[in-house]
Amino acid sequence: MKQSLPARLVLYASVILTCAILVFPIYWLVITALSQPDQLRQLPPKFWPDEPRWGVFAKILAERPIFLWLGNSALAALGAVSISMVVSVLAGYSLSRFRVRGGESLGLFILTAKMLPATLLVIPLFGIFRMTGLIGSMWSIILAHATLIIPFTTWMLKGYFDTIPRELEQAAMVDGCSPLGALFRVILPVSAPGLAATALYGFVLSWSDYAYARTFLTNVQDNWTANLGITTMKGEYISNWSDISAASILVALPILAVYLFLERYLVGGLTAGSDK
Amino acid sequence: MAGGRFSLDLARPSRQHWLGYVLLTPAVLLIAAIIVYPLFVSIDLSFQNVGIARLDQPRRPFTLANYERLFSSPDFWNACWVTLKLILVVTSACCVLGLATALLVNNRFRGRSVARLLVAMPWAVPEVIAVVIFAWIFDSSFGLMNWVFLSLGFIDRTINWFSDPDAAFAVVATTMIWKGYPFVSIMSLAGLQSIPEDYYSAARVDGANALQRLRFITLPSLMPVIGVTTVLVMLWIFRDFSIIYVLTGGGPLKATQTLSIMTYEQAFSFFRMGYASAVGVVTLVICVVAAKLTMRRAPDTL
Repeated sequence: MKQSLPARLVLYASVILTCAILVFPIYWLVITALSQPDQLRQLPPKFWPDEPRWGVFAKILAERPIFLWLGNSALAALGAVSISMVVSVLAGYSLSRFRVRGGESLGLFILTAKMLPATLLVIPLFGIFRMTGLIGSMWSIILAHATLIIPFTTWMLKGYFDTIPRELEQAAMVDGCSPLGALFRVILPVSAPGLAATALYGFVLSWSDYAYARTFLTNVQDNWTANLGITTMKGEYISNWSDISAASILVALPILAVYLFLERYLVGGLTAGSDK
Repeated sequence: MAGGRFSLDLARPSRQHWLGYVLLTPAVLLIAAIIVYPLFVSIDLSFQNVGIARLDQPRRPFTLANYERLFSSPDFWNACWVTLKLILVVTSACCVLGLATALLVNNRFRGRSVARLLVAMPWAVPEVIAVVIFAWIFDSSFGLMNWVFLSLGFIDRTINWFSDPDAAFAVVATTMIWKGYPFVSIMSLAGLQSIPEDYYSAARVDGANALQRLRFITLPSLMPVIGVTTVLVMLWIFRDFSIIYVLTGGGPLKATQTLSIMTYEQAFSFFRMGYASAVGVVTLVICVVAAKLTMRRAPDTL
């Protein structure tokens, strides 16, 4: 159906207005980073700085170990996602294809585990990591993030495997493949988009964590993740919003890039299993 | 999800069973070690008078004192009330905003894919960064919000957003709504795209106008998706830690102290881990019961 001209204008106007309002906080973060600190302390505020100070990013990178923080966040995410994916692929496939005693209750437990508040689990994990000497190490954060990720990835992958027709394995096994070979040579290759979506989602979960990082890593500055580093800046630098905004942009950038370029996969992962 | 799952009719069933167990083993062992065991430890801690959890020492005597203290503590009931208020305000706002934006970008227009990306963009901003943004926008001296409100004549004196209990609650709710609505938007958009175009053509033939098509086709078809999404948003608010903790720390005067914040504060600021575990266990029970009640029909999708 063709829309009339006024209807189109109203549509475009409301789209532009909505996007402008909703994205404004992100715009404001960028403008704050690019403004001179003393310009931020005057009213009315400037919605575009007189001389954008692009040098702020170089300055903050020199003053703060942002790359170290980002590297730690990436290491935590990589470790937690790898561990979670290995166990979840196998478990998800098993739950999707085999009749296993206790399989249903395991599935139910995993569903319930998604509801576990991190603020509850962080207490015993703190005790356990203290006893085993893992506190402050990257292993503590990798294992803690795995508790966040595994329930999601297992359930997402089971849902994904459910959508793959059984005839695929049956054909492979008729051709002489072992059941395990069918999984690795046939099912996993055709599941690549689902695996990518699931891993990306796990990556986002790990990257967003603050509670575990704050509890386990606060005393070990070399292992600070990006989110932890940013909050320490917020604590000490109440007045210098320009620097803190610049650091925030650098920290948000990787995940925003993932979102902008791989949105299809991420959204696919989010909505998987909900429309069934 | 229905029909014939867990079965593979080809090949020897005995061998299939065996492989099924083997494939599950790594997950079961890992989940047992890092989720089930800690969960038992925290339940155990909640029945002891423990300051800092030390697992290498003999356990303290069994006591119900933590739970007795909890239910008679005004702080606990305050935290319940704050959590409930936050859930009501944030969930309803997220649903309205998420659904409205999804309906908007579901229209056909040029630049639609860009608009879709922009509308859901806050989803990709880490919570801690969202807090930085809103802490600055609501800054008491040079924040944008005070300036906007002053210019519009809503207020005649700047508001000290983080020392007034109601104002601080509003800031927390605003931040959570901005961070939470894109999820509803993404889910609703996926739901909208799965509604067959035929429904709308048939309705048009029958002379239904745009409002009637929304009321009688779009909304009913979206209901299952919205139901699941609402529960997920509620659970997120229930358990969220970073937004509130970094923004206000639960203050001022505990006006933004939810059950999650209270659990963490008791454990890691006052080092009463036994008591904190009791708060956490109660939170978990409320979460599970609430989710089960609201999702009675489709527990699979949670």
